[in-house]
Amino acid sequence: MDTAVHPGLRVADAENAGQLRSRFATILNVPQRVRLRLFVCGLCWPTFRASERGHSAFDESIVDHTMTQFFPNALCFGDTFPAAGAPCLVQVEEHGLTVTFASDTADGQPESVPFSALTVSAGGLGHDQLVVKWTGPKGDRTLYLKNPDVIRAFRQAAPDHVSHSFAQAAEQVRQVRHRGRLVWGLVGGVLLATVLGLWFQSDLLVEIAVSRIPVEWEQKLGESAYRDFLSHQEVMKEGPAVAALGEMTQRMTAQILDNPYKFEVTVVKSDVVNAFALPGGYVVVFTGLMKKAESGEEVAGVLSHELNHVLQRHGLERIVKSLGLMTVAAIVFGNQQGLVGMMKQFGVELFTLKFGREQETEADLTGLQLLQRAKINPSGMITFFERLSEKDQGRMEWLSTHPMSAARAERLQTELAALPKKLPEPFTFDWKQVQASLGS
Amino acid sequence: MKSEILYPGAFPMVRVDLAAGESIKAESGAMVACSPTIDIESKMEGGFLGALSRKFLTGEKFFFQTLRASRGPGEALLAPTVPGEIVILELDGVNEYMVQKDGFLAGADGIVIESKMQGLSRGLLGGEGFFILKISGKGTLVLNSFGAIHKIELKPDQEYIVDNSHLVAWSSTTSYNIEKATSGWVASFTSGEGFVCRFRGPGLVYIQSRNPGSFGAWIRQFIPVSE
Repeated sequence: MDTAVHPGLRVADAENAGQLRSRFATILNVPQRVRLRLFVCGLCWPTFRASERGHSAFDESIVDHTMTQFFPNALCFGDTFPAAGAPCLVQVEEHGLTVTFASDTADGQPESVPFSALTVSAGGLGHDQLVVKWTGPKGDRTLYLKNPDVIRAFRQAAPDHVSHSFAQAAEQVRQVRHRGRLVWGLVGGVLLATVLGLWFQSDLLVEIAVSRIPVEWEQKLGESAYRDFLSHQEVMKEGPAVAALGEMTQRMTAQILDNPYKFEVTVVKSDVVNAFALPGGYVVVFTGLMKKAESGEEVAGVLSHELNHVLQRHGLERIVKSLGLMTVAAIVFGNQQGLVGMMKQFGVELFTLKFGREQETEADLTGLQLLQRAKINPSGMITFFERLSEKDQGRMEWLSTHPMSAARAERLQTELAALPKKLPEPFTFDWKQVQASLGS
Repeated sequence: MKSEILYPGAFPMVRVDLAAGESIKAESGAMVACSPTIDIESKMEGGFLGALSRKFLTGEKFFFQTLRASRGPGEALLAPTVPGEIVILELDGVNEYMVQKDGFLAGADGIVIESKMQGLSRGLLGGEGFFILKISGKGTLVLNSFGAIHKIELKPDQEYIVDNSHLVAWSSTTSYNIEKATSGWVASFTSGEGFVCRFRGPGLVYIQSRNPGSFGAWIRQFIPVSE
């Protein structure tokens, strides 16, 4: 019996089977002792389970000892083989490798290759296969091995020059894996940092996003909601009240530098004590609020507060926030067109947007400063707030969104004290007459 | 087990003849018709965690269906969801294929299916996602594609460039890198290719003649946006 044994082609009788089994046992047993050491090299870990299957396959082939059974453990590539590779049985011998092909894929002759002719490297998709190359009498051959038992036996039997390339291949695999881990670690770190950053700095991001939305869009957004709202309301088109609000608005807007907004203030007949501002400069004041106010300065205080919500773009900030960070990212990175569509999709109603406490404080303070610049007595704002908070709150909707607290009035008082004193100029209208024109 | 492709082309179907006791696993929902001798079982291939990871990681179905000829021989007709060709591969225990997540249609009982994580650049830019199916074992494997399937045969060290998301399956002896389609970043994207996969042999690469993502983008423009 020669060295080129294999169960598929040469074994025809039962008596050889016993010899073969012991022979395979020798091949397969060698590695048991070195299994741990070899696994460290990392070449064979993904096919751990395959090795168990391969083991039993070998045994079966010997027991079956039939001509038709052929259990390949490697793929061989070469000019005469199909592109998918020819399945073959690789056995490690003392002098080299013996490669046997199934009779239908090649000429059926086992090919013996001495170790000296071989070059070894790592290859395959995950760099987890052993690639053995040589040039034989039938041309270039490339062998892809992944069966750990064979790799182990090969490494055991290989002479120095091959084991050197073995070590190199193992090192190559280690480097690939190491680089993979490094990249994943970096990406994980960046992701974590981004998430943490967004968590703590989301307001900053919202501001950046808002600053990238053009005023025209904001106006379009506000205008459609504004027209829609007014179509269901009784609008006061003229009269002393409209004129009075016009005067207040004019005096204040004249003091706003670089004002991108064209403010539109409408008086709506309703007993609701309320006023609100929509993004883009659309302000609505209800007659109920004007009836409650004891002076024009008090209404001007509320108006100033609302104008500053618009100027600080608080509405947009709320919209962007409620639409979520993804939108913010989309806007920051360029896709602003989608915002209007997205708002429709998410069903965000402008009227249900509530300003945050920080935004209220900001509007209070900037409102106070605006009143000061417009030479309107700022204490009207404070007294109106205070008075509203004391009285019955049955229909005062403005309060429900603007919770009045002693602290808030106090802060305004402090702020007012810090502002340079300016002699207020009175309005040209008489507030009592304005109120009288509103009816009872 | 014998299998045959019926109506090859855009709307094919596979007929699988099962001997008594034989079984085949298929993507859930793949069965079109079968003999009364065949029982349909639902099975979590790879156990609960395996199925769970497959569901969440690769987007493949949680359950596979197993068609078992438990009451005598019979046949089953299988078809994929999308229009496109079907290809039948024979695995011999040594061959291994990486299959993109929608590519698996059915496989003999001896086929082993695992989810495998790809490297970062391949996962991010390769168009197949981070997780793909690694299919090994012994027996018949049926893959489906979107469009026609084209086989590319690569000799050792031979290279070939494939636009990402046109991949269906590739042998594990091949390796590939993601790279820009052209040397410049801008031209890469304006050329419409973006990233491509540079495959290096030896082995087989199966590609599909249509790109599902691009088709989806194309068809989206005809869908009215609901107000």
